[in-house]
Formats: sequence, C-alpha cells, structure tokens
Amino acid sequence: MSAEMPDPLGRENEELRQEVRTAREAAEITAQLVAEQFEETERILALFQSANAQREAVLNAASRISIIAADKEGRITLFNRGAEGMLGYAAAEVLGGRTPLDFHLRTEIVARCEELGQIVGEAVEGPGLFMQYARRQMSGEQEWTYVRKDGSHIQVSMSVTGIHSGDGELGGFLCAAMDITHLKRQEERLRQAMTVAESANRTKTTFLANMSHELRTPLNAIIGYSEMLEEEAGDAGLGGFVEDLRKIHTAGKHLLALINDVLDLSKIEAGKVELFVESFSVASMIDDVASTIRPLIEKKENRLEIKVAEGLGTMKSDLMRTRQILFNLLSNAAKFTEKGTITIEAFADASSREEQIVFRVRDTGIGMSPEQIARIFQPFVQADSTTTRKFGGTGLGLTISRTFCRMMGGEVAVESREGHGSTFTVTLPQEVKSKREALEGGGAAERLKPREKASTPRGPNTVLVIDDDPAVHELLANYLEKDGFDVVTASSGEEGIRLALELRPTVITLDILMPGMDGWAVLRALKSNPDTSQIPVVIITIEENRNLGFTLGASDFLVKPVSHLELFDTLRKYKRVSVTGRILVVEDEEETRNLLVRLIRKEGWDVAEAENGRVALDRIAERKPDLIFLDLMMPVMDGFEFVKEIRNREEYQLIPVVVVTAKDLTPEERQWLNGNVYQVFKKGSYNRSELMRQVRELVLRHVSPRPEAGKDVKRGG
Amino acid sequence: MPKILLVEDNEMNRDMLSRRLVRREFEVVTAATGLEAIEKARSLRPDLILMDLSLPDVDGWEATRRIKGAAETAGIPVIALTAHAMAGDREKALEAGANDYDTKPVEFDRLIQKITTLLGDARRA
Repeated sequence: MSAEMPDPLGRENEELRQEVRTAREAAEITAQLVAEQFEETERILALFQSANAQREAVLNAASRISIIAADKEGRITLFNRGAEGMLGYAAAEVLGGRTPLDFHLRTEIVARCEELGQIVGEAVEGPGLFMQYARRQMSGEQEWTYVRKDGSHIQVSMSVTGIHSGDGELGGFLCAAMDITHLKRQEERLRQAMTVAESANRTKTTFLANMSHELRTPLNAIIGYSEMLEEEAGDAGLGGFVEDLRKIHTAGKHLLALINDVLDLSKIEAGKVELFVESFSVASMIDDVASTIRPLIEKKENRLEIKVAEGLGTMKSDLMRTRQILFNLLSNAAKFTEKGTITIEAFADASSREEQIVFRVRDTGIGMSPEQIARIFQPFVQADSTTTRKFGGTGLGLTISRTFCRMMGGEVAVESREGHGSTFTVTLPQEVKSKREALEGGGAAERLKPREKASTPRGPNTVLVIDDDPAVHELLANYLEKDGFDVVTASSGEEGIRLALELRPTVITLDILMPGMDGWAVLRALKSNPDTSQIPVVIITIEENRNLGFTLGASDFLVKPVSHLELFDTLRKYKRVSVTGRILVVEDEEETRNLLVRLIRKEGWDVAEAENGRVALDRIAERKPDLIFLDLMMPVMDGFEFVKEIRNREEYQLIPVVVVTAKDLTPEERQWLNGNVYQVFKKGSYNRSELMRQVRELVLRHVSPRPEAGKDVKRGG
Repeated sequence: MPKILLVEDNEMNRDMLSRRLVRREFEVVTAATGLEAIEKARSLRPDLILMDLSLPDVDGWEATRRIKGAAETAGIPVIALTAHAMAGDREKALEAGANDYDTKPVEFDRLIQKITTLLGDARRA
C-alpha cells in the first residue's frame, strides 16, 4: 500500500524547488538590472565629468576673454581664468561677494544706466543694468572701461547674455569681455597719422597752387619783355640778339606750361576742378588747337594732318579742357616724332546708346613698349626716367588728360608698338552732363510742363505721329500734349503720308517696323516730295539703324522705349513760338542787345528794346509783345524781378519769355525759372563769335521768319 | 588812335603791357587800382579797358560791375585779365559784365585780336 500512496513530501519538495528556481531567476534578473543601472550611472557620470571638464576647459582656454556670470542679484557665480588675468582678482576673492559692477568705471555705469533708462522708460541702476541688457536682449558688443584691481583702466568690448533656468526664467547674466586697449591705441595712432597726412597733403596742395600763382607773375614779365625785346631788336636791326631773345621767350613759355601742369594736378588733387559745359563746333575747336600746335610739330619736320568727319557739328562739353586734352596729346606726339606725320582725326561714334565723339591722335614716332604703356598715365612717371632728360616735360600731361576725360564721362586709350608710333584715342560724350545737370535732369521736363501748356498758343505746333501701335499713339500724344503740341496720329505709312501733305505738321515722328509700307519707305516718300521734304522727321523705333535713318534724311533718331524727357528734348528744338507782332529784347549790355535786335529785325520782325526790367515794363505797357528775350543780370530791375512783375499781371501772364543769360544759375534759380519762363538759354562761351553763333541759333529756333518779310532773307547767314 | 585803359597793379606787367600796346599804335593810359580804374574810365573815356582782376581796394570784378553799371561808361568794352586760371573766374568776369576774357601771361597776338574785334564791334554798334 505504501508504494502506491502518493508522496506528499516529494510534491512539496518539488514546489519548493520550483519557487527557489523562480526566486533565483528573479534575483538574477534583478542583479542584471542593478548592474546595468550601475553601468548606466557610471556612464552618465563619466559624461558629466567630461562635460564639466569641457566647460572648464573652454572657460580656461579663453584666457584672453574675461567671462563673468552672476545671478539676478548680481552675485558673481563664475569668474574664469581670463577674468582673473584681465582684472587681477582671483576667482576665490570675488565669487559670491562681489558684483560685476565692481570692475567698471562708475561714471560709465551711471551714464549707461541713464541712457538705458531713457530707452526703457524706467529708472535703471546697479546690477539691474546688466539684467536689463539681458532681458531686452540688447546683448550686442559695446565698448566699456574695466578697472583692474590695481586701479588701472583697460578698454574692453563686452557683450551681456542672459542665463535662463530650466523653466525659462531669467536667472542671471553673463558678461564676456575682450581687451581692446591695444586695438584702441592702434586706432588712435592711425587716426592721428591720417590727420597729419591729410593736413600735410592739404598744405602741399595749397602750397603748390599758391606757388604756381606766384611763379606765374614774374614769368609773365619774362615772357612779355623777351617777346617785346625780340620785336624791338628786330626793328633796330640787331639780328644777333633776336635769336637769343627768342630762346628766353621759348624757355619762359615752356616753364609756364610746366607750371600750368603742376597747377592742374594740384587742383585735381584738391578736388577743385569743375566742368564748364558749353556748346561748341568740333571742327573749329580742332582748327584752333591745330594752329596753336602746328609750330611745335613742324619744328621737328613733322607734318600735321587733320581729318574731321563731315557734318560733325557741335558738341556740348568743357571747351577749354577738351582743347587741353587734344593739345597735350598732340604735343606729346610732336615730342616723340621726327620727320614723320602726326594725324588728328575726329568722328562721331553712334554705335553706343549715347552719342560719342572720338578724337584720335596718331604719330609715326618712336612708339612704346608694353611696359612703358603700362606706366604712362601715372603722375610724375614718364615712359622711362631718361625720357625726361631727353624729351623734357613734367610727365603730367597724360595723367591730367585722362583725369579730364573721365570727369567728362569719357576715356582715353593708347595703342603703340616700339618703333611704330603711337595712337591715342579719346572718346567723349557728345553731350557732357555737368554734375548739376545730371542731378536735375530727371525733373526738368516735369517742371516745364504746366507753364508751357499755358503760355504756348495752340495751333502752330502740330506733331504727326506715324505708328501702327495704338498704345504708342496714346503714350506719345499724352507726352506731347503736355509739352504744348497738337497731336495727329496715323496708323499706317500711307495714312501718314496723306496727313503730312494735308496738315504740313511742324514735325513728324515715324515708326520703322509697320505692316505694309515700312518706315524707311515712308521716310523716302516724305523726303522726295518737295511739299513735305522740309518737315523734320524724328524716327522712333526699336531698331538701332541710325545711319540709314540719317542717310535717308531723318532729323533725329530715338530708340524705344522713349522717355518723356528724351522726347521733349528732341522735339523742343523744332517747336516755334507763334509770333505775329512784336518782340521785346531786354538786355542791359548794349552790344548783345544790338546783336539780338539786328538778328531779329533781319527775320522781318518788329523789335522793341529795353536796357532793364523797369524800362521793359514801360515798353510792354506801350504795346504788348508776343515774345520777350530777357537777360537776368541788369541794373535797376533785374530779370527775376521783371518776370515776377509780369507773371503777376493777368494780361501779361501768357507772354513767352526766353531767358538769355551768362549767369551761373543756382538750382533754386533754375527751378524758379523753369516754372516761369519758356526757355533758359545760357550764353556759355566767352568767345564772341561763338556767342554770336549761339544767339543766332536761338533767334532762328524761336522766331520763324515773317511770311511777308520777303523770301530773299537768308537764314543763318 | 584807339585809347586803351590798362588796369594792372603789378608795375612790371603794367609797364611791359603798355609798352607793347604803344608799339602796336594804341594810346595807353593806366590805372593801378580798381577805384582809379573807375575814375579814369569816367574822366578819360577810353575806347576799351583791359582789366586785371586781383587789384587793391576795389577788385577787378567790382570795378567792371561799376563801370558797366554807370550809363556813361557802360558802353566801353572790357576785357578781363587774370592770372587765376581757376574755374569760375571767367564766369565771374562775364557775370560782372566783362565783354571778353583772357588769362595771364597774355598771348599778345591773341589779346590784340580780341581788342581789335571788340573795337570793331563797338564802332559798328
């Protein structure tokens, strides 16, 4: 029976064993976990340690940057080695006990507190200053003065950054500062050096300018007396003296040229050169230069050839400077050429957007090597140092020429080969803009509009716009009507020709690319019919074929898109004031007045004259004129006064006034005039014949010949 | 013989220029200051005035302005002469009423040409 009996002990044993196994397994797992935990902790601890070490390392490595952190009460919590070095305190001395304020200049802190207080609108003081910087993130670098433990000052560039706790609250701030004392000192030294250099340079420039003036006075006597004696010696039959006296005279003039160069350069350096822009004939300017330079060129048995392109007309530039540039280049050519040919050419270059005049001076002289070319535009440096001894000169001519060229918006280029001569090419804009004009340019047409519309009688100025694009009709009509023109439009070439014959407009604008009959064909047709051939045609197109246009007889060429100003500038010259009665010339200078009166009378018009504004008002009261030519600078009543007077009286308000003046207008004066007169004409040239030519052109532009005044009157003669 | 009033404060230049003008058969009277020039323009009625611009007492610009401002002397042509080749000088001279302008040292032939032109114009006008 016992053998079959279940064994309760054995079962219990088995259960116990099971439990122990489970417990052991659990213990093993736990132990594993604990071990892992320890490992993890160790790893994290190691990480912490290395981060701390890194932080420490960073802080200490920044030995030239002072880093000071503080809590919000300003108690210092961190003071790195850089701070110790910079300020002379040990970290242990300052931690907990001091605030960063202790290291600053008190007056500076007070000033910054005040400054910041005004910005933030509340009183700022003590460590609050840095907290405010941190809070408002005004942490950008600022210059401060640190006071070291020994009381000495250093300049630092310091930034303030906020230190935020885990929940984002601002718990303190950190000041990072770099010593810039050395930099400041250097900066100061540099500034002083600059001031000294600038003042020395100014002194030098002034000295040069004064000296040049002083030198010219005795030179004046040397040149004058020697020339006079040369003449007298010749008359007295003292031929032997003539030669020597001429040498004195020539040497004197040479010295003068050198002094002028130095004077020019000193003026350029002092920024005292201003352009004087006037209109002049290119051909006569070249003739003028040629006649001055010819003796110099022929002295070395050279031949001078002049090639001026036909129909070059006038350019607007600084006449004296343009002349000087060419003179310099030509005398340069003469200096380095013997028994050869020197050529000066002038022609227009229409290939660029802006019309340019090209001057080319070519010689068959000794030429230059590439190394020499590289140096020739530098001041005081000639092709090589022996040149001065052999050929003379200051070596300033080319420097000056190039500076003048650039001032006028042009350039000078050189091509040369040793032994094969040199070619200098000067390119200048056909119309040089003076600084003032360039500034005012944009507004001129805008300002002229209102008065013009009011003062110009309608009818005599009709523009025929020939263009297939209705948008262009609208745009041009809009512009031109503002400028006082009547506008008639044609949408095709055929219609344009018909209207031209019918209306005989003052001027025609012509598109080139049109369906059917194109602009070239229209132009040909207009120019071949005697009834329309006299009407000026302005081509307005996207094509750049200027030359074909001019060959076919176009008067002007504009490229689309056309600005109002461009259009106005171009068409204005074809516009005529309708004059049916009398013209009043108001000018105090008898000579100019007589000239104007003569010219106007020649065109068959009735002229009244007045020598000042007061007299002019009397003349107007006698009989109202249709046009007034007005000078500005006059005794008794000047031009400005006069314009004010007549613009205030309703019955005189619409009389067109053309101002003819030599006065250099201020921008204010110009603006005032633009609103009140029809046109301002500048008597640019001091040269009398040039002035005559300009005045004649002015009269012809504004005064059409009186129909009944006899057809035999020659215009512009 | 046309009468020229030469206004120049530098004695040497005055002597030199007046002698050269006399050689070209001009009658020359001289003035050394601006006020003297204004006075002589009125009392001597020259046919033309050569006016240096930097003068003691009244400078050449002002003297020109006064001569041109007085009806009795306004018609006398004035050529301004200056050693200042500075920009603005010729504009200033013309603004003062000078008829023409030349720089010193004068190129004598050019100056004579300017004188002749102005004298011719004055006679024609």
